[in-house]
This record gives sequence, C-alpha cells and structure tokens, in this order.
Amino acid sequence: MAASDRIVVVIAAYNEAPVITSVVADIRRASYPAVVVDDGSTDATGEIAARAGAFVVTHPVNLGQGAALQTGLDFALAQGADVIVTFDADGQHRPADIAPLIAALAANKADYALGSRFLGGAVNLPRKRRLMLAAATWFTRLTTGLDLTDTHNGLRAMTRRGASRIRLKQNRMAHASEILHQIAQGGLAYVEVPVTIEYSAYSLGKGQTLSESLAILIDLFARRMHR
Amino acid sequence: MIAQLLLTAMLSAILLYAWRTYRLAPAVGLLAVAAAFAGLYFVWFPAHATALAEFVGIGRGVDLIVYTWVVISLLMLVNLHLKLRAQMEVITALARTIALANAARALSEGAPSAREGPRTLQ
Repeated sequence: MAASDRIVVVIAAYNEAPVITSVVADIRRASYPAVVVDDGSTDATGEIAARAGAFVVTHPVNLGQGAALQTGLDFALAQGADVIVTFDADGQHRPADIAPLIAALAANKADYALGSRFLGGAVNLPRKRRLMLAAATWFTRLTTGLDLTDTHNGLRAMTRRGASRIRLKQNRMAHASEILHQIAQGGLAYVEVPVTIEYSAYSLGKGQTLSESLAILIDLFARRMHR
Repeated sequence: MIAQLLLTAMLSAILLYAWRTYRLAPAVGLLAVAAAFAGLYFVWFPAHATALAEFVGIGRGVDLIVYTWVVISLLMLVNLHLKLRAQMEVITALARTIALANAARALSEGAPSAREGPRTLQ
C-alpha cells in the first residue's frame, strides 16, 4: 500500500457504551480515522463514540451488525477510502493487528486480508466457544471452498475494489459467512493474517449463543431457497 | 358435491397464489403447484386417493388430503418468512439511505463529529 492510501476503520456498534470509548481511542491513537456505525443503539453509544474521536453514522432503527457494516463500507467508499478495516466494537480486537493486515493486502496483492485467531492467538477463549467456532469454520469451508482457519472473525482489511465487490444482505450475524461466500463467488484474492483476540466477560456476554447460531443456519438456508 | 366445489375453489386460489410466488421463490412455488394439483385430483377422484393412501400406508384417502393440506400450509409459512425477509431488505435500504444522508450533511456542515472524519494516514 502506498503511504498516501486513505485508510478507514469501520466499527459497527450496538449498545456498546461501556467499551466504545476505549475502542475508538485506541484506534485514534494508532492514527487511523474511525467510523462508528451506531446501529440504532438505545444507550449513548453514538454520542460517546463521537466524543472519543470517531465519525458517527447513525441507523435510525436497529438493523443488525451485517447491515451496519454495509452502511460503514458504503460511507467509507463514498469518502474515497482506499483501504477499509472492519473492527469489532466490543474491545476484543487489538489495534496493533491493523497494520499487519493492511501490509498483507499489498504483499499478497489481495483484496481481502482476513484476521485469524487460530493462526494468531485467542486469549481466554472458552472451550464451548472454541468448539462452536470450529464447527462454523468447518461448515463455511465446506460451503465456500475457501481454505480458511477462522471464518467468523470481524477483524479484516479490504481494498476499495474488494469492498465494492460485496453486498451484504444478511442483516444479522450471518454476514460473516456471507462475506466469504461473496469473496469465493467473486474470485477475489484473499490472505489470512494471524491476529489476537482477547475475550473478556463483556465480549463473551455479547457473543453468539447456540440459539443464535441456529437462527443463522436457518437464515442461510432460507437464503438458498430464496434465490 | 358442494364440498368438492368449495375445495376446488380454494385449491384454485392456492394455484394462483403459487403462480405469483413462483417468481420470488421458485422452489416454494413449484411445490405449492404440485401439492394443489394433487389436491384437486383427489378431491374429484376420492377413490384414487384411498387407493394411493392404502398404497403408502395411510388409512383413508381423506387423511391423505388433510396431510396434503398441512404441507401446503407449511409451504405458505416458509413463503411468508421469505416475504418478511424481502420487506426487511427494503427497510434496511431505507434506513441506510437516511443514515448516509444525515452523515453527508453533518460532514458538509462541519458538525463537531465531522472534524474527525476520514483523512489521509501519515
């Protein structure tokens, strides 16, 4: 990537008031512009994020993380971003991992650099969650044909070309595999990069439960029928 | 005879519905058409229904028709789910347009948060 490349970090946030300040501040400290898409939060997430130094785009109603990410991508593209990084709002990602992701795009001539906690590290990852992620990875590898070690990681970098080639329609959590499906379908070049994810009681409380995973499966199945 | 006519009218309505549905969800449409045709046939040839029912191990032809009806209802349920999804997509597009328009206005007016907008790294 050229030094003059415009990098934008997109954070989809829904009711993340307790942690959004530190997430945004850390990213700003690393001197990246942060765009927070406030997904119709009922707490002061948007206000707090703006005070912490993020530009805030606000959904008038809650639509889900996938929808918020797509809005963030649309906004970043409209602002002329050359590289877009997606970053979780719950504080489990490290800003230090952003630079290697961006570097990997150029080094591999890829449109997507996907963070992998299983190549990198997963701190305090509970056993049950690990099993669930393994199942999700297995399923997504099978259905997309992509050779990945971690399919449900919100930390990724993409080129302008890569971002404009995808269109997220899964409003809720199924967007993670949806992005991968579209990468596979579009024949976009991707590379996996080790990242570290630090689980906290807060981020685990926010994470997916088994019933949500089931809802995702039903949603993906319905999508197949729909087409 | 009256029951047969009534059922025929209802199943014909299902056929029309399935025809419309076909464009949105081909799988659901085709299955509904097949089920409705089967229903129509057995309404007018109950003896065949009984024969088929006995062949597949169901007691009476009437039961077979009831089961067919259940299947059609379930298919309609799936279709309703798909329609709700389509509606959600419209709402999403609407909300996104509003969000982006507000953001663009904030940027052009130089609202407090806009000063932190995207800028060149380094």
